[in-house]
Amino acid sequence: MISFRSFSKSFGAQLAVDGLNLEVARGEVLALLGPNGSGKTTTLKAAAGLIVPSAGAVMLGEPPRSAQEPAAREVLSYLPQKVSFPDALTGREIVEFYRELRDLPGERVPKVMRFASLNGAGERMVGTYSGGMVQRLGLAVAMLPEAPVFLLDEPTAALDPDGLCAFDALVQHAREDGRAVLFTSHQLGDVERLADRFAILVGGRLVACLSASDLKDRLAERGVMRLRFAPVEGRDWTAEAVLPAVRPLAPAASWSGDELIVPGPASVRPRVLDLVRTLGIEVRGLTADEGQLGELYRELVAEAAPAHGEGAK
Amino acid sequence: MKKLRLFAAEELALALRSRWTQIFALVFAALSAAVAGAGYVLSGGQGVQDFARTAVSLVQLVVLLVPLTALVIGVLSLAPERGAAELIYSQPVPRRTVLLGKLLGLFQALAAAQAMGFGAAGLLVYSQAGSEGVGGFVLLVLASLLTTAIFLGLAALLATGAVGRKRTRALALALVVWFVAVVLLDLAALGIASVLPSGPASRVLMVAAIVNPVGAVRTGALLGIEGTGAFGAASLALFRFTRGAGGVGVVLGASVLFWLVVPTLFALRRLRRADV
Repeated sequence: MISFRSFSKSFGAQLAVDGLNLEVARGEVLALLGPNGSGKTTTLKAAAGLIVPSAGAVMLGEPPRSAQEPAAREVLSYLPQKVSFPDALTGREIVEFYRELRDLPGERVPKVMRFASLNGAGERMVGTYSGGMVQRLGLAVAMLPEAPVFLLDEPTAALDPDGLCAFDALVQHAREDGRAVLFTSHQLGDVERLADRFAILVGGRLVACLSASDLKDRLAERGVMRLRFAPVEGRDWTAEAVLPAVRPLAPAASWSGDELIVPGPASVRPRVLDLVRTLGIEVRGLTADEGQLGELYRELVAEAAPAHGEGAK
Repeated sequence: MKKLRLFAAEELALALRSRWTQIFALVFAALSAAVAGAGYVLSGGQGVQDFARTAVSLVQLVVLLVPLTALVIGVLSLAPERGAAELIYSQPVPRRTVLLGKLLGLFQALAAAQAMGFGAAGLLVYSQAGSEGVGGFVLLVLASLLTTAIFLGLAALLATGAVGRKRTRALALALVVWFVAVVLLDLAALGIASVLPSGPASRVLMVAAIVNPVGAVRTGALLGIEGTGAFGAASLALFRFTRGAGGVGVVLGASVLFWLVVPTLFALRRLRRADV
């Protein structure tokens, strides 16, 4: 549904995106991550037909058509990073304007106003809205056409908990309807909860693209199992006694207080437990924590950053 | 066409709610009524000037105020904030439709604002002096509308260099364009003419009046209202220079047409290639 084909964009001498190849399929939710200035917004704007590629192309829909063609944009709905509307129009007038622009039936207006929790404020001028209300109005406008392609640039930045719930429902609904969603966010919690795939841009280059299951594996590798043993009279469960036996399976294993700490992939954990049991040790407590997306993200960015220098525009 | 009308209607609603347009309408109405009423005062209470004389008096007000408001209101409306521009230009509508629709809406709003001023002056004149010379007054209204369209096109050209950003710079440029077109070009032509012999001097003044859109509209309006008496001997020189009344019409018409069409075409071309 969205296809970046060797897409590059320069602003003067500044290379913002460099040779991006990326596809977002029907029914897929892809999160675009990266530090500030890594080219995320430029990438989204190219898909929305707002900027002209310096090289390569961005195609939309099936059959694929250049995002530069107005007719190709029939399939997309875009929410900018800092959406704004004329202060002198009411929320309802704005939604009505975009409804007419997309030739949509009138019943869509109350539906999206309700969904974005704007029913009470629909008759007020936008100039009286808070930042979060403007963002929700933007979501309402983006939801109007039920377009097959959703492009959302930091959609949750100004949302309150109710707005976040509406956004989660919107993405879930889009996925179920078989639409392609491409969004950027710095809120890794949102990303982990919503996305099927994660693409990381650093300095305008794609440095990693992980599926949800890849991510789960990578995070599991960063997981930690902690074991506490039942004391038995006359037996020594100290580090010296247990660690040498465990380390062939989990080389990074360590002892802290009265706990055996076993970092590493989840697949090692059953084997460590079996080994402990064969040593005749009774396990009194077990906890296992998965790795955090934030840690993995920072690691991937740090790996890529020296090669690509500072972030692009 | 439906999309174009939609953008025009939205822009019209926005412009009519804008305090800039409202201030312009009130100021223009007050000044127009004042100019029309001034004839009553100057005649010692014997009666206001007829439509033709009032139209001549209003020409200067039109060429000063109308370009300024068209440029300022045009740039403010046609160079929206980044988030608004991104949302509009990501819609499945050609960019030229967006720009032309907005221009049409702005034109309608400014025409409505001017209608208040001309209406106030027209009612005052009609109530005191009847309908004599009303043709000249209508010609002035048309000249004012042409000036509005020309300077909205120039505003579009400035605004399309600032889509979603550099709005303040576009506004500053708009003021520079107004100063050059309304004040500086006339002064420069007069300055150059003052150091030349009479033949070349009158040709400089005539070329300046034709090339400058403000000059072309003003010259056309005054000639239309007052005929060859508008500029005395200079009118006859202009008629000789352009080979008769038909020539004057063609030359001034070509200048106005150029300024009506070319800036807007450049604005459309610029917008088509712009990164939003």
